[in-house]
Amino acid sequence: MNTRCHRIRNALPRGLCALLLSASYAAAAIAAPFELPPLVTPASTEHHVGKVVWVELVTPDLAATERFYGGLFGWTFREIHSGSTDYSVALLDGRPIGGLFHKAVPKDKRRQPAWLTFIAVSDVDAAKRTAVEHGAKVVFEPKTYAQRGRQVVLTDPEGASFALLASSSGDPPDFLASPGEWIWSSVHVRDPAAEATFYKALFGYDVFDVPSNDGLKHAILSSEDYARASLNAFPDNSSQRHPHWLNFVRVTDAARAAAMAVSLGGRVLVEPHVDRHGGNVAIIADPTGAPFGLMEWSDTDSKEEPK
Amino acid sequence: MSIMLQRWKVTTGGLLLLAAMYACAVTGAGYDGDGGVYVGGVYEAPGFFGGGWGPGYHVGPPRGGARDARGGGGGRAAPSIPSRGRSGGGSRH
Repeated sequence: MNTRCHRIRNALPRGLCALLLSASYAAAAIAAPFELPPLVTPASTEHHVGKVVWVELVTPDLAATERFYGGLFGWTFREIHSGSTDYSVALLDGRPIGGLFHKAVPKDKRRQPAWLTFIAVSDVDAAKRTAVEHGAKVVFEPKTYAQRGRQVVLTDPEGASFALLASSSGDPPDFLASPGEWIWSSVHVRDPAAEATFYKALFGYDVFDVPSNDGLKHAILSSEDYARASLNAFPDNSSQRHPHWLNFVRVTDAARAAAMAVSLGGRVLVEPHVDRHGGNVAIIADPTGAPFGLMEWSDTDSKEEPK
Repeated sequence: MSIMLQRWKVTTGGLLLLAAMYACAVTGAGYDGDGGVYVGGVYEAPGFFGGGWGPGYHVGPPRGGARDARGGGGGRAAPSIPSRGRSGGGSRH
């Protein structure tokens, strides 16, 4: 009897130690700092200030969002769980092209999901100062993620949300986007002239006014002799609109992609129509309501713009 | 015997403290704003997009050749997006 008690007394501390050690290791794994993956692998020293280099969507339903974009564009996903954070990296042919972040819609606020546009800078803190001096507001202060780099979320002088990113692995090279990749961005505002001044000061853009048939002001923002985004007056003066960035995925057939988006639970916000480059564009809302664009782009586009 | 018990208590206490420290770290870290850090995206005001695009409302990049009215300098054509594919080749539009 004594021997048995002695064995139990000896084994109990060891067992408890093992249990606590396991719990500690598990907790340590969960508590490991959340790490965003690098933008470019292998890392490079290439940088393109003013280029849209990343997009990120906050969504209340990560699984449904993955099903939608995976079905529509063939994206695959690598999920990262850390503590209470659920993040998913969207991949096309193994290349990271965007991030999905799960977060419930704030209960006390009427809000809807939106893709956040990340634009490359070389120095986030210096760019933030410039932005604030020119009327921007800081939404989230600069923060560094070891593999990703340093980033800050801002709103421009009219309130359009966007982010600055100084990537620690370099910026993606200037290639033509493949179908299924982000190809273009536009920003929609009330006063394009004032906003052009802001974005020019921030990114050193060249600003090109482009002719339009709608009597509204449209401009192209370029850097390194590449068009990076368009700056557009709202289609009308409705006070309902809120200034925003909008990003476009390259597709081979916008009408077919729009139909597929609907079959996957999305909605068509703007029907496919020919844009200035000769290909169709359409605007879609994903099942959670986040708007994004579809854009055809090919070397053989020959559609005539409607008269 | 009492020395063994003492050791057991110290070891257990130490490990409990370690586990508690990690548990605290869990609630204070993360990407989702629970610890006051960056939120991985933004929620916008409902209906912020607004729609209302007519057929002439063009927002895409030019193919190249659109003449600038200001800013680009010297009457240069507005540039287009890169045309070079990952496999190489191509030129600017």
